[in-house]
Amino acid sequence: MSEVRKHNELGSRRKAYREIQQETRKKAKSTRFQDDSSISKSGSEEPISASELNKNQIELPRKRFYRQRAHSNPFSDHCLDYPTSPDSMEWKNMYPGFYDKERDEMTSQVEIADIGCGYGGLMIKLAPEFPQQLILGMEIRVQVTQYVEDRIIALREQNQHTNGYQNISVLRGNAMKFIPNFFHKGQLQKMFFCFPDPHFKQRKHKARIITNTLLSEYAYVLREGGIVYTITDVEDLHLWMVKHLEAHPMFERLSKEWEQQDKCVEIMYNATEEGQKVTRNKGSKFVACFKRLPTPEDTE
Amino acid sequence: MKHPFQIVLSDQDGHVFTSVKNEILVFNTDGQRIGHWIDPLDKSVTLKKQQEEKIKQLSEKKLKTNDETPIKIPKIPVPGLGAPPLYNYIRSLSVRNDILVGTTDSDKAVVIFRIDFSNNIGNCLCLIKRQVLPKRPCAVSQNDKVVVVADKFGDVYTVSIDLNEPVEDKALAPILGHVSMLSDVLITTRDDGKSFILTADRDEHIRVTNYPKSYVIKSWLFGHREFILSLVIPEFNRDLLISGGGDNYVLLWNWYDNKLLDQVDIRTLIEPFLNDSHLPPERFLTEDSVKEVTVSNIISYAEYFYVVCENTKCINGFKIDAGDGFKVNHIQTLTTQHSIVDITLDKLKNQLIACFDTEDEHKLLAGFAIADDGLLQQQEQSKALTNISDANECLVESRDDFYPLYYTSTLRKRSDH
Ligand SMILES: C[S@@+](CC[C@H](N)C(=O)[O-])C[C@H]1O[C@@H](n2cnc3c(N)ncnc32)[C@H](O)[C@@H]1O
Repeated sequence: MSEVRKHNELGSRRKAYREIQQETRKKAKSTRFQDDSSISKSGSEEPISASELNKNQIELPRKRFYRQRAHSNPFSDHCLDYPTSPDSMEWKNMYPGFYDKERDEMTSQVEIADIGCGYGGLMIKLAPEFPQQLILGMEIRVQVTQYVEDRIIALREQNQHTNGYQNISVLRGNAMKFIPNFFHKGQLQKMFFCFPDPHFKQRKHKARIITNTLLSEYAYVLREGGIVYTITDVEDLHLWMVKHLEAHPMFERLSKEWEQQDKCVEIMYNATEEGQKVTRNKGSKFVACFKRLPTPEDTE
Repeated sequence: MKHPFQIVLSDQDGHVFTSVKNEILVFNTDGQRIGHWIDPLDKSVTLKKQQEEKIKQLSEKKLKTNDETPIKIPKIPVPGLGAPPLYNYIRSLSVRNDILVGTTDSDKAVVIFRIDFSNNIGNCLCLIKRQVLPKRPCAVSQNDKVVVVADKFGDVYTVSIDLNEPVEDKALAPILGHVSMLSDVLITTRDDGKSFILTADRDEHIRVTNYPKSYVIKSWLFGHREFILSLVIPEFNRDLLISGGGDNYVLLWNWYDNKLLDQVDIRTLIEPFLNDSHLPPERFLTEDSVKEVTVSNIISYAEYFYVVCENTKCINGFKIDAGDGFKVNHIQTLTTQHSIVDITLDKLKNQLIACFDTEDEHKLLAGFAIADDGLLQQQEQSKALTNISDANECLVESRDDFYPLYYTSTLRKRSDH
């Protein structure tokens, strides 16, 4: 009984916390992410910073308030928001620091994607390494996505002086279904698949984020020479991903030597929340990286 | 009463193919039956057989024991309560030259027939291959060598048209896939010899993929907001594509250049023909629910095309104006006697043949002549079509025994709030 009560109390505390965070998120979004009309109303050219609104500085969000079921079903798609096409995607709201107001265009486009980004640790480490490139995390779980959003709002706030973290953002979406809605052909340079859900059962293998048929979609959004990064602590899944990527005519495995000199491999090894958990539990980590090969000449 | 035909299809030479439940019938231009096939694997049939078998056993036993009590008729074994009813039927048919291809629900197979039209006494259909697939096939297309089949799980397979033994279904590898149920597929070859596969899914995606290098995606055609049901490439310009489904409009594309050429409103045209059956299912019904339009068939004929919406009594005709950057003009709304379940182009007689949702067993089909200006005119029922109606032997007690003729409402994505 008391366990249940504790559980409920925690549940309502989480909810209350998240409601406050939602308010902050809304305010931050409406001032920093929105179109001119709301800005001109406030009478100033510069968007109001979130701290002016929120006397207290925005704190980094606390993860334990955003707990959610560990797995989600990638086949169900109800109430997911996604653009009708890459052209209709409004990136300026997500990366206001890379939006040229005069020309009404983005000065940079998303070239790095973290698929199933979880709590966002990878992007946060990648952000300073690729300051001029936009990095996008895609995550299917709502609350996890909100956590990452809040985390980015707080980081941008705390790093205003350096304009840090303007190049990372997160989207809630089902990457297995809607990747082509977000990215143009050849737009991406790197795609990360860090500790993807293993879906152990044979019957569920189609739910894995790396399959023969999905790889063709990843090859489509990746440019020639682009890279697929994979890491997992589940050896079975590692072998599965390697097998499928190796069998796919558009990908070629990169050598261990290549992995050793690539800074993203190192970051990926240590930066993600799941990866850190594996380290704490003294688990193994399996890495495999692949290069997107040139499109065959007799195709279009 | 007869069960309506669920599929009607015609080929270059005016042969007519129909299907009802698990049966395929083939007719010559006079409407004489020249071929037929019944899926021997239909489970609902075997269940009935089991029941008959049991009744026979029981009566024999009774005879032996001189028991006076009437025998209890065993029920047809049915899946547990709450399980959706099983309907096994031929879900799609496609014909090209002398090859007819169908899909079965019973064992989730593609069935490939060679048609011997010279055989006009016996049965012109010769089953040359039955390839079982891992998941239920939804749509097929073919060229001279292969059948391309799209399934409920989003995968596309090729099955070669030859006499080789079918492959173990577990050993089949998809040549491409969506993470969504597929609703239509086309394989097409351009004048330069390059082939492509076009696929459409429940998530409003139309995808263009190279073939045979199907791991190279050419493009996605973005423009639909709802599921897609029908893809059609007009013969007069094979770079064009007409698509429709759960949206209020039909789209005209240049699929090769990934250009949306025109959007044609269907809703306004079809509005007077909608009824309560077009409202969302009760569970999702609210005060401001609107009636839902579903384009179920698109038939292309020269620069004209004809659109049929699910469970409506009309056909809308359109003309593609090639001189005007490919704009589409509405030319006609023709009211029909009954709702159209399926429709096909009979090139030999320049007519559309529709199968009706009707209880009138002599008029299961209707012909609509196409004039030079593309306008349709309903014809007196021809002898040929009467013959075909009469050849349907699928008897049912009442409408309630019809297989679902309109099932797309389950394809529409809905949320409870
Ligand atoms: C085990 S976690 C790993 C998270 C993160 N990459 C890390 O290493 O910490 C896998 C994540 O993928 C997300 N995910 C699973 N399927 C997805 C899909 N189809 N689209 C987007 N995200 C997905 C899950 O919600 C989950 O957060």
